[in-house]
Amino acid sequence: MKNNRIGLILVGSMLAVIALVVTLLLQRQQIEHAEQVRAQGLGVVRSLAALPASVLIPSKGAPGVLDSILAYRDNPDFAYAAVSAADGRSLAEVTSPGTLVPPSAALALTGFAERTIAAGQNGRAIREFHGPLASADDKTQVRIGYFEARTPFGMKDLPFYALIALAMFLLVPLIYLVIKREMAPLAALGEQLRVAANQATTHMPALVSTPESDADVRTLAHTLNRYLDQASTRIRELEQESVASMASGRLLEYGSNKMQAVLQCLPDGLLVLDPAGEVTFATGKIEPLLGVPVADVLSQPVEAWCRDPELRAMLARFRSAGLDTRSQMTIEFNPAGVPDKRLWATAQALLGHSMGYGTLVVLRDATREHLARQAGNDFVAHVAHELKSPLNVIGMYGEMLADAGEDDPAVRVEAINVIQDEVERMSSLVNNLLNVSKLEMGSMRPERHRVKLDDLLRDAYQQARSRAEGKGIRLELQVARDLAAVSVDKDLFRIALNNLLNNAIKYNQSGGSVVLAADEGDLDVVIGVRDSGIGMTPEDRERVTEKFFRVRETGTEQRGGHGLGLYLTNQIVELHHGRLTIDSELGHGSVFSIHLKKMPALVEGGQVL
Amino acid sequence: MNKRMILLVDDEPHVIRVLRLMLEREGYEVASANDGNEALDKIGARRPDVMVSDIQMAGMDGRELCRTVRARYPDELFPIFVMTSMTASGEREWVRALANVDFLEKPLSPRQLIARLATHFANAAPQPENTHAA
Repeated sequence: MKNNRIGLILVGSMLAVIALVVTLLLQRQQIEHAEQVRAQGLGVVRSLAALPASVLIPSKGAPGVLDSILAYRDNPDFAYAAVSAADGRSLAEVTSPGTLVPPSAALALTGFAERTIAAGQNGRAIREFHGPLASADDKTQVRIGYFEARTPFGMKDLPFYALIALAMFLLVPLIYLVIKREMAPLAALGEQLRVAANQATTHMPALVSTPESDADVRTLAHTLNRYLDQASTRIRELEQESVASMASGRLLEYGSNKMQAVLQCLPDGLLVLDPAGEVTFATGKIEPLLGVPVADVLSQPVEAWCRDPELRAMLARFRSAGLDTRSQMTIEFNPAGVPDKRLWATAQALLGHSMGYGTLVVLRDATREHLARQAGNDFVAHVAHELKSPLNVIGMYGEMLADAGEDDPAVRVEAINVIQDEVERMSSLVNNLLNVSKLEMGSMRPERHRVKLDDLLRDAYQQARSRAEGKGIRLELQVARDLAAVSVDKDLFRIALNNLLNNAIKYNQSGGSVVLAADEGDLDVVIGVRDSGIGMTPEDRERVTEKFFRVRETGTEQRGGHGLGLYLTNQIVELHHGRLTIDSELGHGSVFSIHLKKMPALVEGGQVL
Repeated sequence: MNKRMILLVDDEPHVIRVLRLMLEREGYEVASANDGNEALDKIGARRPDVMVSDIQMAGMDGRELCRTVRARYPDELFPIFVMTSMTASGEREWVRALANVDFLEKPLSPRQLIARLATHFANAAPQPENTHAA
């Protein structure tokens, strides 16, 4: 069906082309013809007009020049030739048979002109050329008329056109036939497939009734159909596989990106070296750790970027050792690029199922641990020294007591006093050490209760009084009875108070005084320990609550501090969300004040310890 | 009058107190300093016959004091005893570069110091005053 339609369209279009060609040819011929007629007409008119009137207008009966124009009668278009006077009277005329000279038109200003005279009774239009007669003064004019072309084309061209048309007529069916013949098998096959497909979908009832002669085609069609089915199934599978693999590719990419982000976010720096020792992966953290930018490290051998001999040695060991002998290995070093850091570098072989992917190096900032360890060592050394010093003194005094004590009672008294002091100093140090250790371990949790402050202060005062009196120091208590209650851990707070009072007594002179006072403000209670002691420089005052800080004593008297009392006091006060302030002047004593928040008075029925 | 003079350098007043008492009982004249700088002042005023110094001191420590003394008075090699509780051999290396410097173990026994001093002065050129003036 489709092929037939194509054929028809082909034929139709061919015919249209032929018609177009013919029309164009005709137009061209007509134009050519008109030009020819015009040239001839104008030429004849001009030549006639140039002639004297007498020649043109012969006397009656005598033959004129116009007659000679009859010689043109072989031109089938010739209509007439005439000489007309101004009044339209025809002075002479020659006509082709059956033709009347039409009335003359007025002469054009331009002289020679042409006009078209519409078809009259005789049925043919005439093209007239006319011009003024040169020899005549009046408006005598020469006119010559030609029939307008009637036949569309000259008979002589007809065979040519016919030949072209014929050739086309012959060619079109030929082309059509050729095309149709070429396509016929395909069309047949397509038809067969369509039929077969229809039969397949309708359970092939038609197949059974198909004549045996179609069997081959049918088999072919079936085979082809099957093949097409398989092919399309396969294409679908491939498409699905492609989509699936694209999705899994994206998933892998996502996973890989996520993994990289995770690795980059690790606080440790990571380096992956291939088996040849070149870095294939490095996280940004290595720059702050090693002082080497990632760009300098990537795809570079270790020797090119690593300035740390320890790290180089370890990596070299990993590269040279056999697969199975490489276990994890950790070193600790100060990186050359960042000397104030302490790093742990752990190298480990990256082992797959049966192959090595190289070496993984994890760089961890161990600066804090290192400092903590150092601080711990320092602490132990310090405590050992602090314990050794009183032991040393006790030992020496003991020896002196043994050697000279019997002879000299003054020496005996001094030795006993010093030994007592040193023992006290040591036990105070040990107690404070234990408390500091508890505090720093976080195991010291203040159990805060509502406490009547005046009782607490009175207790502390009673405890310290004997010691103060032993040193010849006057201890005063200035606390109002109706002092507001505070929320403190009684035991801890007692340690803080004792430390302040001990210091006030210790760093004092005989005859001096210590005042334990408590004042109540709008929001807080201030407990002050004021002494008339040796005081401190502003620099010492800044540092006096630091752990193990001891004010350098310039006098001859040895007071035996250990640098933990005020540290501990400050920690305890902070544990109670309070504040320890120190006001001191060298040589004029010090005031240590504990500022505590008042407890709201509304808890009237609250438990008061 | 011309007693042997011992310079004690320690930032622990108790140590100086005990040693002073004990040495004075043995007939020595005792001068004392709290740290290295004070010791140098005392040495500048009068050379001691023996200097006994602690190591760990604030200000100028014992190590620096010994070096300075030996550098400042290269011809006066009075014995120096440094008191130390540090037993690590590395801690004692520095002494080798200095002449006539020896260690006293801490905790210090005053008796031991007296014995060491007696041995030293007995071996040294005998002095007519090398008797207990007291």
